[in-house]
Amino acid sequence: MKLNTLAVSIFILYLGGCATANTGYYWENYSGTLYSYKQNPTPENRARHINELKKIIKKAETKSVRVPPGVHAELGYMLAVDGDKPGGGAELRKEASIYPESKTFIERIYLMLGLGDS
Amino acid sequence: MKNIFYIIGVTYLITSCSGLPIQTKAEAYPAMYDDRKPLSVLVIPAINKSTAAEATDFFNVTITEPLSNVGYYTMPVEIVKDIFLKEGIVDSTMIKGLPTSIFKKNFGADAVLFVTINKWDKQYIVLAGNVSVSMDYVMLSTETSEIIWSYSATQTIDTTAESSGFIMLDILSTAITTATTDYVPIAKQVNYQAFTALPHGGYSELHGLDQDQNISTTMKDAALEEDS
Repeated sequence: MKLNTLAVSIFILYLGGCATANTGYYWENYSGTLYSYKQNPTPENRARHINELKKIIKKAETKSVRVPPGVHAELGYMLAVDGDKPGGGAELRKEASIYPESKTFIERIYLMLGLGDS
Repeated sequence: MKNIFYIIGVTYLITSCSGLPIQTKAEAYPAMYDDRKPLSVLVIPAINKSTAAEATDFFNVTITEPLSNVGYYTMPVEIVKDIFLKEGIVDSTMIKGLPTSIFKKNFGADAVLFVTINKWDKQYIVLAGNVSVSMDYVMLSTETSEIIWSYSATQTIDTTAESSGFIMLDILSTAITTATTDYVPIAKQVNYQAFTALPHGGYSELHGLDQDQNISTTMKDAALEEDS
């Protein structure tokens, strides 16, 4: 039993390339949906990735952990590009409030998308 | 049977997470433990020197998660790429010579990370397959332009769905092999491996507690040699 536990923990270490998450983030299938969208940039794949970003945010809320870096920013960026400027702007501001070090980056996105002052 | 798990696991840990000669993280990367330590990292879209054009996307979509999980604020690579495009930068090699202070000013980044894909070779031998990957990671301070972290990750990963004789690999490849192999988890695994050598950042529970962990100086130097 003890050996079993050891085997399982080694296997988990193996999968993670020896790294364990010490931040508590939940990423869901972020890489997977992003990759699909990049390979095949259809509206369906874009919607799927946007949904995945929303799922990550929801998961963080249920688990009471921080939303991973960039998730609000990426969601906000995609929404704004799709024409939802108020919704996009709100997400971008959330990013800057959770991660104050992102302020310059977020201002840069505002500028690029013509969202006015953040 | 259980022993097999144990031996393979331990062998893996020994071969991929250490190696000689070694240094502690604090000895290898002193700038990561003093006032120069970064919190926000701008990842430059990967530079692909391999023969496989498709490898670029595999790494760009899988780098944010492992880097963030080590405790850094990581800017989404896709947005960064779009910003660069607007500035007329279509290729990351154009960025290499630029003064790093630009990234402080325009992105607020404390550090900038260059990722180079040197090798992404897929091999198929009847029932067996693998992908051989070699990556270089070099992080520079945007304050001082000095190199504050570097590491090289090299892995050959079995992509065989059939029995390879190694239970661990069988489980892994069975899980990831569908109609065609999904290389996204493989690229992610390589990125995770590289960041085991990275001192933990401000958002990690291990921040400031990992200075005595050992890293391979061979891998640290290899990233710089190939980079020059």
